[in-house]
Amino acid sequence: MRKTRPFGIVGIIALGMMIMSMSCHKGNPNTLTSELLPLEGNPLVHIRILVKVGSANDPTGKEGLANLTFGLLAGGGTRTKTYKEITDAFYPLAAGVSVRVDKEMSVFSGTVHRDNLDRYYAIFKEMLLDPGFREEDFNRLKTNQLSFLEKTLVGNMDEQFGKEILSLMLYNGHPFHHPASGTVETVTGLTPDDVRAFYKDQLVQGNIVIGLAGGYPADFPARMTADFGVLPQTFTPRLSLPPQRVPEGLEIVIADKPTPATAISMGFPVSLTRASDDFFALWIAGSHFGEHRQHVSHLFQKIREERGQNYGDYAYIEHFIQGRDKFPATNICRQQQYFSIWIRPLPNSNRHFVIRQALRELRKLVEEGISEERFELVRTYLLNYTKLYAQTLEERLGWKSDSRYYGYEDFLAEAQARLPRLTREDVNRAIRKYLNFNRVYIAVITQDGEGLKKALVENAASPITYANPNMPKAVLEEDRIIQAYPLEVKAERVKVIPASDFFRTPGLPQQ
Amino acid sequence: MLKFILPALWLSLVLILPLPLRSADIFPYAYKIEELGNGLKVVSIPLPNPNIISYYTVVRSGSRNEVEPGKSGFAHFFEHIMFKGTKKVPRAAYEEFLTLLGAGTNGFTSDDFTCYFVVFAGRENLPKVVETEADRFINLYYDEEMLKTEAPVIEGEYYASVSNPGRRLDELLRDTAFISHSYKHTTLGYLRDILDMPNQFEYSQLFKKRFYAPDNTILLVAGDFDHGQLMELIRKHYSSWERSNFTLVTPAEPPQTEPKRAHYEWPTPTLARLAIGFHGPAYSDVMIDQAALDLLAEAAFSPSSPLYQRLVISEQKCLFLSADFESHRDPYLLTLNAVIKRDEDLPSVEEALWNEVERLKTEPVAPDLLAKIKSNLKYTLANRLGTTDGVAGILSFYVNLATDPATLNRLYGLYELVTPQDLMAMAKKYFVKTKSTVATLSGGNAR
Repeated sequence: MRKTRPFGIVGIIALGMMIMSMSCHKGNPNTLTSELLPLEGNPLVHIRILVKVGSANDPTGKEGLANLTFGLLAGGGTRTKTYKEITDAFYPLAAGVSVRVDKEMSVFSGTVHRDNLDRYYAIFKEMLLDPGFREEDFNRLKTNQLSFLEKTLVGNMDEQFGKEILSLMLYNGHPFHHPASGTVETVTGLTPDDVRAFYKDQLVQGNIVIGLAGGYPADFPARMTADFGVLPQTFTPRLSLPPQRVPEGLEIVIADKPTPATAISMGFPVSLTRASDDFFALWIAGSHFGEHRQHVSHLFQKIREERGQNYGDYAYIEHFIQGRDKFPATNICRQQQYFSIWIRPLPNSNRHFVIRQALRELRKLVEEGISEERFELVRTYLLNYTKLYAQTLEERLGWKSDSRYYGYEDFLAEAQARLPRLTREDVNRAIRKYLNFNRVYIAVITQDGEGLKKALVENAASPITYANPNMPKAVLEEDRIIQAYPLEVKAERVKVIPASDFFRTPGLPQQ
Repeated sequence: MLKFILPALWLSLVLILPLPLRSADIFPYAYKIEELGNGLKVVSIPLPNPNIISYYTVVRSGSRNEVEPGKSGFAHFFEHIMFKGTKKVPRAAYEEFLTLLGAGTNGFTSDDFTCYFVVFAGRENLPKVVETEADRFINLYYDEEMLKTEAPVIEGEYYASVSNPGRRLDELLRDTAFISHSYKHTTLGYLRDILDMPNQFEYSQLFKKRFYAPDNTILLVAGDFDHGQLMELIRKHYSSWERSNFTLVTPAEPPQTEPKRAHYEWPTPTLARLAIGFHGPAYSDVMIDQAALDLLAEAAFSPSSPLYQRLVISEQKCLFLSADFESHRDPYLLTLNAVIKRDEDLPSVEEALWNEVERLKTEPVAPDLLAKIKSNLKYTLANRLGTTDGVAGILSFYVNLATDPATLNRLYGLYELVTPQDLMAMAKKYFVKTKSTVATLSGGNAR
């Protein structure tokens, strides 16, 4: 902990800036802003530093740099303390600093009992404001990042692998094109100087939102603002993103590896975000079609409940990461969004059938829309379910700052006001406007990728069998339609690539 | 259970038996426990979380209860069956009820118990939730065809994690370490048994009769409600539930007399993995063993331990190192886990773990480290109690073990009493090579 910094004058100036930033979030873009949620009597305090840059800010040829830099702040030593000393100091407090890097947003956070706030914060601020960039920490985290890309992502987590391949397809040649961890080639080339430079350029006042929630002392926000007020007064302009590329028909990438189960993700860009008026209508459509890990999901009902094909099937109208329990994580805001379907792994024998089934259900959604009955049901569901979204300090603060990002005072309150005003026709209009069924990127991880490619291109029949000899007649009749449902798959739009070729260099591997 | 008491600790046990230590209770909320005539226990924890209620049903049946051959994974399978509804409220109607409620709902199964939860907003919805959940547990209805359709979902769940080498290593370790006890298999079960689940309708009825009964179930309700109203509702809707009176006898595990070892060759690129398991004690909030082992795990293998600092931070041979000494109702494994960056470091990491367990037998943990560990455990718990789910989630684990939330206070009371000498004694007692199983996983290096 540095004890000699002259906080006094800086603190007063910073306090003034903070008051200004709280009252006017569109004030000076070069200075800190803050989100405060004081809850007197709460035994916990959550500290959250939101940085409005992410992996899309990685310089070309240095993909993975944001992740390594911010990872080094949260998982490395400071100028005066080794990482071991930090770990030792945090341990009795049962506290730590976690970090998550998304495309355009990164967040450092930690929760601590108010008994220990001063001891915790002294180190927290030092980690972010006076990092050590020690060689041993750099090497450790760089090696970990490379191991993740070379082994874990392609070898040990096929569901995530599928989502990352979908992202590669969605964002080929776009700043969103690489995973936050980068690529093997670019991470291998990163140096401590790269990390220092990125830190210096990006951890600047205008990029930072200081978040505080819980039972912190009244003067604590001013202390934090004073401390972080030593950072340079500048900001990184929000990225000017190129248009998202809509696929030419069905574009399919198959990652080939020895596996008994097939993982599938599919999707396409959508031209709206939470900031759009249409979001609320499309939200009902998305929840109806595939609410994350809930039985209300239509895909879940058709694929899992009726047919027992796999563990679950869901759809999303914006980038989704699961937070606490099954609720959406916060602070992964993006300027551009995509629609996606997540088919959890299923036996290889049924892969072709389920790709057909998911696309056919999507077509029915687009062509037929939502029924009045489902519209009413899902709207009521969302009105009630979203009351559970913001329970912890972290969630409450996260939703608060996400609301701000998308231009709301309180997005969840806005939903309570807007959802009741919608009609079924609003939802169906949004479905027709934003969704489609014949221009879709499809990422598949499976064995014998060439076999799947051939079956897809030839529209081969894909019947499935059941353990239950007395499946309902309606299901079997529908199966007969699904197993022959024609997909317009052109051979030149299907790439079969060995799984271990992915994430070695930016972009999709060459076939 | 007395076999787990160290004779030298009898004196201190006499001193600690008058628990709970009310003045120093770690669980900060007032709660009430009531039991219905049919044996259904209700733990109610009114909390100041505005308008949110977590309604948990803890059935004390997990993969531990799968004692017959060929039935591994059945407790988890039955968790799925529990969502099939009743004649009065069939599955579709039950799901519609939950959908309109906007509830966060699901179930999970572990080695020792299965937990069902409904988390919802609006105390006015409590009567309907109690009525519907009671109906589901008392009057569950499903036919053979419904079971046959659900069974492949378990296969799908198995496939959902088939690319995760951690799960494979866990399967290998248990299967090698145990001979007889049902902890030999994971909660998901053996794939061969999963594939046979469509044929197990008859056994599923037996399983239900044995374990889905009020005398094997605890209701945990946390959040914004009135206790009197809750109990009135529960008495009204659950009193007709009939006892099972079934007593489970889990197969005794014969003492292990020789060290065991197993390896799995992973087909695709992966970081190497190592697990060393030692046979440990059953959970107890009276005897010192489990409490001391919890502290020992922290002292020797947590991120602030010397070994972690060496292998993960300094030498950087491991991506990850941890000890998993999770409490179980029957004697389970004390497991050391390492994820290793390069295959060639597997032997030296294993050697380092063995050296560490030997060191723990002779070198006392420094008193200040012990104090830090106790502090860590206290604040770790406090940090998790911020939501109704956090409270109900933690208590579901402990009421499964000991049927009473007071066990948490007793366990933390024991933590305070543990000394460096206790830790050495536990290391000597449990870290015995002839009672160990080493499981390794590596492979997939050829591109």
